Amino acid sequence: MRRAFLNRVDKMIREEEDTVYFTVDIGMWAIRDLLEKYPERATNVGIYEDGMFGIAAGLAAGGYIPTIFGIQPYLVERTLEQIKLDFAYQGLGVNVIGTGAAVDYPKYGYSHYCAEDAGVLKMIPGVEVLTPGTANEFISLFNQAYRDGKPTFFRVSDHPNKEYDIDVTLGKANVIKRGGGATVIAVSVMLDMVMEACSDLDVTVLYYTSLAPFDADTLKREYNGGKIVVCEPHYSGTLDYDIIDALAGRSVQIEHIGFPREIFRNYGTYEDKMEYYGLNTEHIRAALAT
Amino acid sequence: MEAKLKTLRQTCLKLSNICQDGNLQSAFSCMDTIWCLYDKIMNWSKETADDDARDRFVISKGQATLALYAVLIEKGMFAMSDFQQMGSFNSRFCIQTDITKFPEGGVENSAGSLGHGFPFAAGLAYAAKLKKNGSRVYVLTGDGEFCEGTMWETCLFASAKKLDNLCVIIDDNHSVGAMIDIGDMKAKLESFGFDVHMADGHDLEELENAFNGFEDNGRPKAVIASTVRGYGSGTLTENDIWFHKAPDDGELDMLCREVQEF
Repeated sequence: MRRAFLNRVDKMIREEEDTVYFTVDIGMWAIRDLLEKYPERATNVGIYEDGMFGIAAGLAAGGYIPTIFGIQPYLVERTLEQIKLDFAYQGLGVNVIGTGAAVDYPKYGYSHYCAEDAGVLKMIPGVEVLTPGTANEFISLFNQAYRDGKPTFFRVSDHPNKEYDIDVTLGKANVIKRGGGATVIAVSVMLDMVMEACSDLDVTVLYYTSLAPFDADTLKREYNGGKIVVCEPHYSGTLDYDIIDALAGRSVQIEHIGFPREIFRNYGTYEDKMEYYGLNTEHIRAALAT
Repeated sequence: MEAKLKTLRQTCLKLSNICQDGNLQSAFSCMDTIWCLYDKIMNWSKETADDDARDRFVISKGQATLALYAVLIEKGMFAMSDFQQMGSFNSRFCIQTDITKFPEGGVENSAGSLGHGFPFAAGLAYAAKLKKNGSRVYVLTGDGEFCEGTMWETCLFASAKKLDNLCVIIDDNHSVGAMIDIGDMKAKLESFGFDVHMADGHDLEELENAFNGFEDNGRPKAVIASTVRGYGSGTLTENDIWFHKAPDDGELDMLCREVQEF
């Protein structure tokens, strides 16, 4: 997914003169020619987030489309006030592509983990939060959003879905499967796992890659009164407000397969963490069985 | 003091009286700087307020927005009558700016939190450089604001990207006297690659000379304007309760008189 993004940026900078790209000192090798050929519009700014967001906002006000690439916790949590004031309040657009969330740097400790990203961003009105599950989905969502004049955050994952590659639309959920029992909400890279767990079950599976804006209409339409199991690769409960709001007036039982709201003090591998925190088929089936 | 500078200060007082809020000390200290920029330096007029090649004034020290409004009224961008409901629920005008309420121009940034206007201005200056449209960007900051890390991040960027069309004006009204010692600002900015001029921020000729003394040499610019909080009124200068206080009708008359006699 990272490589797909960098290829897209390479093409964008070469072909579109009103675009500007900043990397916060990552992913330079893949676009080294670009950085050399277009130093004015493609820059490695160094370890630099807060001020960079403000500068990007100025560029947006000056008519440019800024895109920033960095590591998710520093792009989201360190810069929260810049997101709120420089972009959301001023009504200016930016594309922010973050790697590392939630636990893609599994050996680096809590500083590099970012299970908070979607929850934090969704608190700021007007911010788009997009979490593609594959490289193709990333490209599709990027192409739909990058010129829309809004602050748009993309979470790119090093562990994409391999079985499912969906034709996604910004702001829309996909109905992957219709059934009579529970409704499973599969977010981003959780889709493969959800479908493996639900292959022989009579359930509805909805696939969400746009976390903001959240597609309430599809959930409202497809929900048939059963249990809702949310499978989310960030802190559990991040989408609860949207789900409850979409189904206002109805009584809903929600179960979560996601990261618990605690500080992760472990290392190991990505797979170790997914197992330890129960983001696996076994837990999904258990949640659907009860 | 020139009559115009008195009028501008009296406008600030009236606006503060209308909306019953404001930081008059701060507005008075940078009043002359903003007027100098709009009257003598910037390629800006109400007719070109939405022209992409215009020069831009960004207010990073948003607490002095009353001074900006006074200048924009004087320059015909707004009328005093536009401000009759200032500070009310749906007013366009209040203590800080909100650019979404000014689609026709006149206000360049949404101010409020310190440390945001300077990086934003650098982005505007960078956009102008990319377009090669000759636009310059002037950004007014406080001295205390330079405790924010984003200010120094911006200095790094402005210097590295050779933004000689960016000019930061530090309204040095000695706020940092009450804070940690920020040291020698001129030396610090020069070490970051800025051309720095010092000026008496209440002397229009000195200010004009400072702004006109810069060259297109690839180095970003800074003017350190030495000012006095509340300058133009003995009461505002001497009594720090006016750091954040609005005049009632009686105080408005008294302060306007004071400014007139300054």
